[in-house]
Amino acid sequence: MIYGKMWLHVKPGVGIPVFLGAVAVSSFAVHVALVTNTTWVKRFLNGGNGAKAAMIEQAPVATVPDPGTTVLVAASPQASK
Amino acid sequence: MSDPTASDPNRVWPTGLTEPEAQELHRHLIQGTQIFGVIAAFAHLLAYIYSPWLK
Repeated sequence: MIYGKMWLHVKPGVGIPVFLGAVAVSSFAVHVALVTNTTWVKRFLNGGNGAKAAMIEQAPVATVPDPGTTVLVAASPQASK
Repeated sequence: MSDPTASDPNRVWPTGLTEPEAQELHRHLIQGTQIFGVIAAFAHLLAYIYSPWLK
């Protein structure tokens, strides 16, 4: 198996804890970053209405135009009847 | 008394393992990584389906 001979030079008592530790630390860091940089994770984990709100929050919403921007709205003649 | 394995010509230092021992260790490590990867992929699939992640 490729790279298997690395264990002739790296002591398993050192290499395996370093390898498993690197996996644990990096995956934990990714999940901490996800919790701290988003708003929906905590509400989703709390459940109840917060979870539904977190779901809705992710849906695309229309943005408010900047002040001074001209917004053209087409009115349907059927709407006034 | 000296360690009888120390005079084994098949052993490689500094670890003192033979090449078949090193290959066996590596095989177990790769297998563990693959099992971990499959479980992690399944967990991410469940998170994608049942949470707002990436929605």
